[in-house]
Amino acid sequence: MARKGIVFRIITYAAAFLLAVPLLVILVWSFANNWPWPLVFPKEFGLRGWEYFFSPTSNSISILLYSILLSLTVTLITLLVTIPASRALALYEFKGKKLVEILILAPLIVSPVAVAMGIHQLFIKLRLANTFFGVVLVHLIPCIPYSVRILKNIFESVGDKFQMQGKVLGASPIQNFIYVNLPIISPGILSAASLVFTVSFSQYFLTFLIGGGRIITYPMIMFPFVQSGDRMLASVYSIVFILASLICLRSMDRLLKKYYKRGDYFYL
Amino acid sequence: MENRFKPYLMIMPVMIIIMGIFILGLFMGLLQSLGYFKAIGLTEITLDYYKEVLSSKDFLSSLGFSLYVSIVSSLIAVVLGIVLAYSIVQRKGKGRLAEVIFKIPISVPHIVAVLLVYNILSQSGILPRLLYALGLIRDSSSFPSLIYDRRGIGIMITYLWKEIPFVAMVVYTVLDNINERLTEVALNLGASRRQAFFHVILPLILPSAFSAFIIIFAFSFGAYEVPFLLGPTTPKTLPVKAYVEYINPNFANRPYAMVINMIVTFICLGLVWLYFKAFKWISKYTGDFNG
Repeated sequence: MARKGIVFRIITYAAAFLLAVPLLVILVWSFANNWPWPLVFPKEFGLRGWEYFFSPTSNSISILLYSILLSLTVTLITLLVTIPASRALALYEFKGKKLVEILILAPLIVSPVAVAMGIHQLFIKLRLANTFFGVVLVHLIPCIPYSVRILKNIFESVGDKFQMQGKVLGASPIQNFIYVNLPIISPGILSAASLVFTVSFSQYFLTFLIGGGRIITYPMIMFPFVQSGDRMLASVYSIVFILASLICLRSMDRLLKKYYKRGDYFYL
Repeated sequence: MENRFKPYLMIMPVMIIIMGIFILGLFMGLLQSLGYFKAIGLTEITLDYYKEVLSSKDFLSSLGFSLYVSIVSSLIAVVLGIVLAYSIVQRKGKGRLAEVIFKIPISVPHIVAVLLVYNILSQSGILPRLLYALGLIRDSSSFPSLIYDRRGIGIMITYLWKEIPFVAMVVYTVLDNINERLTEVALNLGASRRQAFFHVILPLILPSAFSAFIIIFAFSFGAYEVPFLLGPTTPKTLPVKAYVEYINPNFANRPYAMVINMIVTFICLGLVWLYFKAFKWISKYTGDFNG
């Protein structure tokens, strides 16, 4: 019995170890000016990679900010369209509901490569290809199913009793939404927003095809370094990617908590 | 009156996007795969492109390679994910560590995961360096090449790094909700720990494990970045091959790209269909289902 417990412990720690060590390795690589085979530790540490990243010639910071702006736009639009849809799927019965649900979740299963190549021609015709808005539009496709999955669960567990209460007490639909619904579902909105932001921020192929090389997001400037095996620069860009997304998620969390001061919600 | 139309109004914005981009995109891809491509004057519907692609050796080896990489990596991910989730639940320490395990791979994109694997497993990576320092290999080339290799090891390890924790997270939420007494009852009735796991716990987590399998299979089967960065020159995976056809300056090649895309799509949809069949079959036994 006690021995069994140790096995489970070892498996858990091994998993954490295998996840964390590669990240530590890129942290070391990002500061390694010179690390030839077969040394296990770098021969010379330095800031060359970081200097390149922060130098104005690499343009990395403005591309990073642009990329964050793009993904925030995607997040906002995804939330705006999926909040009502998730509520409808959770609380209403209507004809065709099953089909609607299947269609909304289908992008989880169907290759984005197939969708992007199929729609590309039309986007070119409509002058959406190679534009910020066009890229935002295709990013919505992989993001919508994740958001609906999370928000639908939240609406199901909250139900509509609070909303009824508000209505009975004389709140208008808009007041009801802002003062009753939103605070209750805000933790769900936060987790949906975090996931959607991450999905959009990580997107490479969709941006690359629909953006046509005109819309440059952060993964696109990172890609060539990984492809060419330039470990130092690839590591620097990867670390910035991870830090940037952590900072963005943190600030979303803060912002929401500040807005709705109450920490925990009764249904949780 | 209000209530009848309200849900339709609420789903409308999402459906406009899904129909206008996702479904329309697939539909236009389907049309082009059938040889209908007005921009270059092709207007006749034909199955010729499918016949041609399906009989090409090059395509078949790509199909085989793609299926092999996705099936093997997804199966391993599901098995190890279940083991990991079960271990985390049994450990009972709760909280922090599990959260770290689940969250790291989600916030690391595939491109970075590729770099992680490359840094450690390529012939000049950390692992061969350690083995060299320990005197286990003589030079970097005596370390097997796991990157750009025809067995797709590098691709699969990248997927595993991202997917095992994902499966573990999905299974963990189910395991955490299963009443602990269920195992106790089984043990009390004389089942061994092993029996309790295989006959009580496993059937309960199987539906969600299966749905996790479909999601990661479909993802890896339709993904471009990882096999492009870590895969061999031949055989290419299907999405990489489709893209090569797509960027061919000769537009007459487009239908071939679309045929490949459609075959990828059909295979994934077929798997979902199987899933619903299996779900019906499984629910007969468990009476309950949490997808």
